Amino acid sequence: MASLTLYPDDERLAGGERAAFNLYLISALALFVLMMLVGLTMRMAQAKWLSVPPNLFYELLSMHGAGMVGTMALATTAVMWFFLRKYVRLHLWAFVANYVLFMLGAVCIILSIFVGGYGALWTFLYPLPVRGMGLWTSDTAALFMLGYLLIGVGSLLFYLDGAAGIIKVHGNLGRALGLPWLFGGKIDPAHPKAVVAGTMVIIANSLGILAGAVVLVMSLINIFYPTVLLNALVAKNLIYWFGHMYINATIYMGVIAVYELLPRYSGKPYPVSRPFLWSWAVSTLFVIIVFPHHLLMDFAQPRWLAIIGQVVSWGAGFPVFVVTAYGALSNINRSGMRWTMPSRLMVLSVFGWAAGIVPAIMDGTIRINLVMHNTQWVPGHFHFYLLLGVLAMVLALMFHEIGSRAHAPPNSGADKLGFPIYLVGGLIFVFAFLDAGHLSVPRRMAEHLDAWTPTDRLGSIGAILVVLAMLYFAVRITVGLLRAPRLGASGVRAQDAAG
Amino acid sequence: MIVPARWKAWLGRALWLALAVPPLQRALEATMTLQMLVQIPLLALAGWWMAASLAHRPATALAAWNRSGISGLLLASLAAMLWMLPRTLDAALEVPWVALAKFLGVPWLIGMPLALSWPRAGFVVRGVFLLEVVATAFRLGWLYTVSPVRLCSNYLLGDQQQLGKTMLALGVAICVLLAWRLMWGHVAIHGER
Repeated sequence: MASLTLYPDDERLAGGERAAFNLYLISALALFVLMMLVGLTMRMAQAKWLSVPPNLFYELLSMHGAGMVGTMALATTAVMWFFLRKYVRLHLWAFVANYVLFMLGAVCIILSIFVGGYGALWTFLYPLPVRGMGLWTSDTAALFMLGYLLIGVGSLLFYLDGAAGIIKVHGNLGRALGLPWLFGGKIDPAHPKAVVAGTMVIIANSLGILAGAVVLVMSLINIFYPTVLLNALVAKNLIYWFGHMYINATIYMGVIAVYELLPRYSGKPYPVSRPFLWSWAVSTLFVIIVFPHHLLMDFAQPRWLAIIGQVVSWGAGFPVFVVTAYGALSNINRSGMRWTMPSRLMVLSVFGWAAGIVPAIMDGTIRINLVMHNTQWVPGHFHFYLLLGVLAMVLALMFHEIGSRAHAPPNSGADKLGFPIYLVGGLIFVFAFLDAGHLSVPRRMAEHLDAWTPTDRLGSIGAILVVLAMLYFAVRITVGLLRAPRLGASGVRAQDAAG
Repeated sequence: MIVPARWKAWLGRALWLALAVPPLQRALEATMTLQMLVQIPLLALAGWWMAASLAHRPATALAAWNRSGISGLLLASLAAMLWMLPRTLDAALEVPWVALAKFLGVPWLIGMPLALSWPRAGFVVRGVFLLEVVATAFRLGWLYTVSPVRLCSNYLLGDQQQLGKTMLALGVAICVLLAWRLMWGHVAIHGER
């Protein structure tokens, strides 16, 4: 069970661990800010406030997509590592190897986009990467895919190390997920939620990475031996199995921060329960098979796969989300929680996740998908749950960590100002996307008609506010992380420490 | 049942010789599927068993170059890649020295390194290796299934496609087996991973 001590001793970082963790967080913050600036540039170009040539727009879109997905994965991997290492033995070499391979992969991707001119988006849908129409070469597309392969191998090393640690303690992954307790038996209240969530991510994302390893190498073979033609539908299914799983896993890694930190700030225990274990067990299965909802518009897709996509979409994230949202609200209720940056961000993250999946569930319905899927409704959905959900979870841990080094949860006047700017900017930004979707504004378009620009302009204003808040958060957290930890008592409680 | 090392080595040699007996060799090379998925794995198994006969000193000397079994598994993977190519499968039927290379190379460069490396490999190294085995089965299965041309002069297009389908099925089977073992089985993890 998660500790109620705000900064327990078994979480304290020293030496190489601290350096590696700092490297993850500071790199993630820098990348988030850069990718947000890229996103803002595109939004302002659509609003006709900036002039961006279409080829550059698609390069920026490719960079923003691949960069944000990768950075979310990098940051939430740090969240999972930070908490999981308390319960099972994780090796620092695997954590560092993931970082190094991620950075090597990122260099490949950046070079392929900004030197090679790659603009076939983060989804590298076959055969688009090999049809550069003179804008980029096949070698450039191959470099982009090599970058993905490197990042995938890094993640795999981290997950295998995590699986080894979990199996060593719990015997097998089924027991770590709590499956023996689903139908009866006395649940061990000390069974860590971090282990349950971590196990789910390891199972689901390893399968996703396997799908990615297959389709990426097949795409590379197609690049170098164009006579070997791939079935575009099979390739698309595998790409979305990999891509959907990879980005979806970030929320399940990020939510570990809420499970671990919320009870410390509320002062109330947050034990594991049977509904909790059921929800994670169901989501483990559903998350693996939900990817066909990305192909509901593909008329050639077998009908049964489309139906799976719809039905599973309704159930995939729902159980975990309901249990987490209900659990979090119950935990906060009458707890007398003092509001500091970590606690505010955690509550925001549960809201962002909850609200963000509503448009997703709607879009996962075949009849609605046929109308909405190619509109800005979809970026509205995923920016909602990533910006206000996952990123808020990551920021909560970051603020908590700088608090642990200063022995007090961050709650300065500037923090109090930065939080609402981030929240309001984020809401304006995502609702501008959702409203544009409602008005049938298409997504992924470099050139927008004049009639579409009002939502683009509103979205740009929201994005400017988000970038300003994020810039402040990035500087504040980086300074906090680089500051030497203060010596003193670690057993401080949130209620005592908060102002 | 634990087979003594001496017996294992003899079993390996016997299997190696048996596979070289012309009627059995011809039978196992009659189709692409049999050659790639039965004959070559059996030759590797012979090499695995023969590794038991390796004297203590050379085995220890090799171990110094085979930390966590990585070098051995890498060597086995590279050698195995060669015997997944249609060109080498074809040449093994037509060119005597390629056939000899198969009968010598597969046991010594795939089977033996695997036998010497697998016990030394930890969970992470084994995991990466097995995942790559599964991914390779899917990739090759896909390639052999969709290739528009006949890749071997000794085997028909239908045979090639049959090999592709069998490899896809093999990939699924290994995946299910691994998932089952990790989810519900007993996986011993010792010391360094």
